[in-house]
Amino acid sequence: MDTAAYNAWRITALTSLPAWALLLALGAVAGGVFLTGLGLRGEPSALRKRLLWTLRVVAALLVLGLLLEPGLELRAETRVKARIALLLDTSKSMRLPAHAGSEPASRMQEALAWVKKHEADLQSLAARFQVDVYGFDKELTPQDAGKLASLSEGPGAAKAARELAAGTSTDLLSSLSAAARAGSGGRPLAGLVLASDGADNEGLEAAGPTARQELEKLGAPVFALPIGGAAQLDLAVEHLQHDDFAFVRSPVKLRVRLSQQGFEKKTVPVTLRREGVVVAQADAKLDGKSRTAEVELQFMPDRTGKFAFTVSVPVYEGEALKDNNKKSFTLNVIRDRVRVLLVVGHPSWDVRFLRQLLKRDPNVDLISFFILRTPSDDTHSSQDELSLIPFPTNEIFSEQLRTFDLVIFQDFNHRPYHMSQYLDGIAAYVRDGGAFAMLGGEQSFSAGDYLNTAIEEILPLSLVPPGAPAVDETAAVLKLTEAGKRHPITELVPGTAQNEALWGKLPRLPGLNTAGTIKPGAQVLVQAQDGRPVLVVGEAGRGRTLSLLTDASWQWSFVAAGQELGPRAYETFWHSAIRWLVRDPALTPMRVQAERPVFEPGEPPALGVEVRGSDYGAAGGAQLVVQLTNGETGQVAPVSGGTAGESGDARVLLPPLAEGAWRATVVARRPDGTEVGVAEEAFTVAPSGPELLQPAPRPELLELIAKATGGRLIDEGTSLSGLPFRDPERVEVGQRVTRPLWDTWTVLALLAAVVGAEWVLRRRWGHA
Amino acid sequence: MADRSTKPLDRDAQSAQRTRRGLLRGCLRFGAALGVGALLPRRAEAFGEAARLVFAQVRHAGRWDPRPDGLPRLAWEVSRRTSIDTLPTVRPVSLADPEIFKTPFAVLSSDGAFPALSDAEVAGLRRYLSYGGLLLIDDASAQKGGSFEQSVRAMLAAVLPGAPLKPILREHVLYKAFYLLDGPSGRLAATPDLLGIELGGRLAVIYSGNDLAGALARDSFGAWEYEVVPGGESQRERAIRLGVNLLMYAMCLDYKEDQVHISFIMKRRRI
Repeated sequence: MDTAAYNAWRITALTSLPAWALLLALGAVAGGVFLTGLGLRGEPSALRKRLLWTLRVVAALLVLGLLLEPGLELRAETRVKARIALLLDTSKSMRLPAHAGSEPASRMQEALAWVKKHEADLQSLAARFQVDVYGFDKELTPQDAGKLASLSEGPGAAKAARELAAGTSTDLLSSLSAAARAGSGGRPLAGLVLASDGADNEGLEAAGPTARQELEKLGAPVFALPIGGAAQLDLAVEHLQHDDFAFVRSPVKLRVRLSQQGFEKKTVPVTLRREGVVVAQADAKLDGKSRTAEVELQFMPDRTGKFAFTVSVPVYEGEALKDNNKKSFTLNVIRDRVRVLLVVGHPSWDVRFLRQLLKRDPNVDLISFFILRTPSDDTHSSQDELSLIPFPTNEIFSEQLRTFDLVIFQDFNHRPYHMSQYLDGIAAYVRDGGAFAMLGGEQSFSAGDYLNTAIEEILPLSLVPPGAPAVDETAAVLKLTEAGKRHPITELVPGTAQNEALWGKLPRLPGLNTAGTIKPGAQVLVQAQDGRPVLVVGEAGRGRTLSLLTDASWQWSFVAAGQELGPRAYETFWHSAIRWLVRDPALTPMRVQAERPVFEPGEPPALGVEVRGSDYGAAGGAQLVVQLTNGETGQVAPVSGGTAGESGDARVLLPPLAEGAWRATVVARRPDGTEVGVAEEAFTVAPSGPELLQPAPRPELLELIAKATGGRLIDEGTSLSGLPFRDPERVEVGQRVTRPLWDTWTVLALLAAVVGAEWVLRRRWGHA
Repeated sequence: MADRSTKPLDRDAQSAQRTRRGLLRGCLRFGAALGVGALLPRRAEAFGEAARLVFAQVRHAGRWDPRPDGLPRLAWEVSRRTSIDTLPTVRPVSLADPEIFKTPFAVLSSDGAFPALSDAEVAGLRRYLSYGGLLLIDDASAQKGGSFEQSVRAMLAAVLPGAPLKPILREHVLYKAFYLLDGPSGRLAATPDLLGIELGGRLAVIYSGNDLAGALARDSFGAWEYEVVPGGESQRERAIRLGVNLLMYAMCLDYKEDQVHISFIMKRRRI
């Protein structure tokens, strides 16, 4: 054997016996020696006693030698340098300014400058250790120290630093663990050097038991250099806790968590804006000790839709970051119940069946006022014998009007109740997004004195002048118009033919209110056999209106039930009518939807638009204009949205927008300039990951990590070579070989000779 | 609700009604009952009969029309006292006839036993009540437990099995639908309560055991046809008011139980 390759040796046992067998043999041998001692107590000659003892001990040793099979291990040993991992934070938060100032360097630039400053230091360290350099965010990337140092200088330094800091999240614990495990050639870890802002996004709380266990597993001290965290002042809206949707006219609570650094005890106003309008404000109290403070904002959305909101706190002088002093979100405000105001001129079967339907509908909150007695009625009683209450016109039509989603005038003449003063307000309420329905009867439409009033302006039809008959008693057989065949209100059953047939079967109406002309944009959905309009719908401003020129729609329920048709047609009609009037999203003809709820900064947000007219027909070729409203400032900017395709669909690509919440109002117009429809959507422009949402430096976290591992914080001037890393090197065995120390048969023969000699002597000297 | 009237209440109306022999006044009223109601200032236009309340008188195999003048008189009173538009006529109709569905308020009456309904009539009445119709059963005999009542109970057991007549509590909205009443009334005071059957949260059947129509009936000269005992003319006025409330309930259902009315009504109940 060539022993030149080996530079070390040691004695070893070559036995294959298990430990318990060896122990048993050892016990037996020891017992044999002990018995020999007992047997020699009566031997008077000291010489003989020693000789026999010696022979027995030699025999015992030979037995043990046979069992253990001693051998020589030849080893090829090398001395290996320990490893140091240097971790440089390359997450996006390192792009942020390292400190306050007019043109501060970024945290990444500061980290690179530190590498540059310690270039010689690292080289001297490399003489004693293997130095592995990594960039890290949520995982490790090997880096070259020399190259990193070179990035800190030159005209492109800022850009290079920005490109380097591209990680979308920071996971300190995972990165440290990976660096500890990685290594090269199984080198022992002598320590880790961590240069980071400490802005961890994985919920690391170094004081927690799990994190502490993980840190202890590293098996080496961490020396941490806090970047950008030294005595900085910063206030941030760190987190908003809110539901994805809210109910209109119900309180909405929003929990805001602020994070602060460097602030003394202070009261901070927190403001919630909906598209520039302040909707809630509250004070958050910073106690000067805690990193975070929470405050609750509450507001009451007054209309449905999707809106852009921004929560903001003031930017104080000297703050390192200004962009994190606000945070935006969108909120979808929906109805829990449709609040309906039903005003009735006098009790009738039409009233009775509509009330019954509305009261039974769990989605409707019905407030109704019936005129049970007119000034000319004689009740033959005192007022106290009646259950009648005054008609609270002012309370309803001034104070409460805008709390309703829908106002229905059912065969109601406003004149006897001195309501002229409220009609303008009702019309304004509708134009602002409310809904209004006028149902026919002898006191309705022209017979209700609405000619030339604000109510006539919002109706989808004009009224007939005085002198013209206000009603026509000719019975009306119902017939769907072309618009009615595709409108959701008039879809009583699926299938165009079946639906049309059902309308034809419904009980004919005993008469109709007389209408003037149908207004532009309005739709006649149902008409009589002679063309008289029965059901007309239209839009007024942002609101919707419906005119049903009969007081006998109840017959579609009760009389139809007598004709074996059942009341379902009546119920379906009214449920659909109410949903359409209050702009139930499912019945909105034109729709717009953002392709994603959140877009990245710099990314052009995309909207999908379905352009349908109020008749629900596709409006191909419609010109689209998008009004963008900023959630914080309320400023509006128009953007061209292109042209809808033949199917009426369009994909609108907006220009890249600033961070924040935005509301897009898409207006579609025909080539002749007339409006097809309007639809709205809200979305947010914000970094998708948590990296830039929680970018505040956390030097205290770095300190906890360092202490948990037996390391400490360092500053930029600390000499790396002087840090107390663990043992710089250790012995590694590259190759080994073993050989037995003696030949087994020889030992066996020797053992037989010794035992034999002892036996002979013992016999001769009179021992058993 | 709405009460914008400012004219003084007609306090002498009740005393005038006590003078059964006020022929002139009675004739005027009778004239009105026959259609002079159109002279009431409310109406500007006519919109067909369908918009107005007309009673359906159930035609059965017994004596189905014992008080032919009672219901027209009630219709006239309702039109005069409230904003409900009525036609002072009665539409006789069979329960098996789909025409009954043109009138969601039907009255079944007799002064004695009547034969059981046919299967078609039972099915028709069941459908009528189930889809929203209201049946007022008026015992013209005003005999508690009498032959008419027995016929009615047998009929209802066939039409709505498992839904017996139950007393209508005084707190029911029926007693505050227009007038604030403390109980039923009629030509006689045979029973202290109205009875009823509820379907889907509303009264579908109302049973009056005191001959309500009898208290309202006038002869061709405008004179009251029957004496009202034991309460006399004040009892008759209460019967008219009950009739008004019945119609108001038929058309407005539980409107007077809306939250907006409750405080007003409780206050007046205490007066």
